[in-house]
Amino acid sequence: MRSFEYLAPGSLNELLEVIRDRAPDFKLLAGGTDLLVELKHGPSDPKLVMDLSAVPELKGIEETPLGLRIGAMVTHSQIQQSALIAEHAPAMMAAAATIGAVQTRNMGTIGGNLVTCVPSLDSGPVLVALDAQVTVAGVHGRRVLAITEFFVGPRQTALAPDELLIDILIPTAMLGRAAAFRKFGLRKGQALALVNAAASIAVDDDRIIEARIALGAVAPTVIRATDGERVITGKPTDDVGALREAAAVAVTEARPIDDFRASAAYRRELIAVGTFRVLEEALALATSS
Amino acid sequence: MTVNGQVRRAEVPAETTLLSVLREAWGLTGSKLGCDVGDCGACTVLVDDLSVNACLLLAVQVDGREVLTIEGMGGFDYLHPIQAAFERLSSIQCGFCAPGIVISAKALIDKNPHPTEQEIREALAGNLCRCTGYTKIIEGIAEACRAPVGTDGSA
Ligand SMILES: Cc1cc2nc3c(=O)[nH]c(=O)nc-3n(C[C@H](O)[C@H](O)[C@H](O)COP(=O)(O)OP(=O)(O)OC[C@H]3O[C@@H](n4cnc5c(N)ncnc54)[C@H](O)[C@@H]3O)c2cc1C
Ligand code: FES
Ligand code: FES
Repeated sequence: MRSFEYLAPGSLNELLEVIRDRAPDFKLLAGGTDLLVELKHGPSDPKLVMDLSAVPELKGIEETPLGLRIGAMVTHSQIQQSALIAEHAPAMMAAAATIGAVQTRNMGTIGGNLVTCVPSLDSGPVLVALDAQVTVAGVHGRRVLAITEFFVGPRQTALAPDELLIDILIPTAMLGRAAAFRKFGLRKGQALALVNAAASIAVDDDRIIEARIALGAVAPTVIRATDGERVITGKPTDDVGALREAAAVAVTEARPIDDFRASAAYRRELIAVGTFRVLEEALALATSS
Repeated sequence: MTVNGQVRRAEVPAETTLLSVLREAWGLTGSKLGCDVGDCGACTVLVDDLSVNACLLLAVQVDGREVLTIEGMGGFDYLHPIQAAFERLSSIQCGFCAPGIVISAKALIDKNPHPTEQEIREALAGNLCRCTGYTKIIEGIAEACRAPVGTDGSA
């Protein structure tokens, strides 16, 4: 690796002061599972690497009046083991469990996953299905964005060069919402998603009153299949045909690519199957509770 | 940092990985450099009881923490039950993957002393082996867990 200076600020204020002085010539280090690969083998050559692990404002999972707050530095393993996530957003555990292998999940953070923002990022779809918001902070203050605004394109987020991701919020209205996640890779462990999908469903009086479908790895960034959502909204909960139709419509909203991992045609099949299965699973959860 | 129970010090440039400090500064060459990008698990060590890839950690990130490498697991006079089972079953061929696999297996059974085969497979998803086809490794870990721990001797 090329040489750099290393700092581990002990608070957000301290971190922001360094950012003010040094932007944009620095890199933030969370779990390092993406960044170290980039520093070793990529073009990036920062003068300064700033370790976020001592910044308390980025840690922890907690209930707040606005919803469930998940610090950017929470690791995938911590998500898998969190009682609060299990209670309020268990689909996040299903997504975390598919990321890399144990070693990667022990180091890799949800914040690092969202900021790297590859189209196949596995924590993206569930957060979109649960209408999550993110807090970002910079030298000039804080702002809150919808997760769909945060994802801009492949490896591109709404963060300005002097900003960082602070936390993720699952709004109160979505806590306990029935949701499901599926990932299709070339093998079970350690594989990037060819397609990943998530859905959330609310029912009332034996009808679907709200549905969200999110698809990853099928467009430059995670997308919502809003036409597919409209197909099932208002439908009776026993209308399996509507789920199939929604899945077929969702396929038309995606823009999958041909590459060395899979053809676009195969990915379209996966989108149809994946969307149907997450809808079916979310609906089963919604009607059983 | 504390490595295998012993306090060790090194002054290294910030860009030095934990793996290279272990191997080059302290001569602990049990942990292997395979892929250098987090895929193969040959460099797996425990940091504060969590299994991690030492090739993807900077040594400074581990400052003041506790590390366990294969050298802390057992030697010729005493083999850890996982190592003993691997020896009995001939679980290992060339051995390049073995230090990482033994550490991943230890991380698993410290938390879950009686894992299912599926749980063993999941715990090893980040450890590649080019020789064995994994079957004997998985049987070895299952065998190590059958060592007399439960009162009824069951696994
Ligand atoms: C072997 C292997 C397998 C993998 N498998 C998967 C997989 O199956 N699915 C998947 O989605 N990903 C996978 N990844 C990618 C990676 O592990 C995840 O994206 C992980 O969550 C990244 O988090 P991190 O904490 O390690 O990020 P880091 O590497 O520390 O950081 C990543 C990037 O985000 C920036 N950053 C980090 N935190 C913040 C913050 N709070 N604010 C602003 N910027 C920030 C960093 O500057 C850097 O540019 C894999 C990686 C490896 C090495
Ligand atoms: S050398 Fe570290 S994972 Fe391969
Ligand atoms: S025994 Fe040779 S790589 Fe596993």
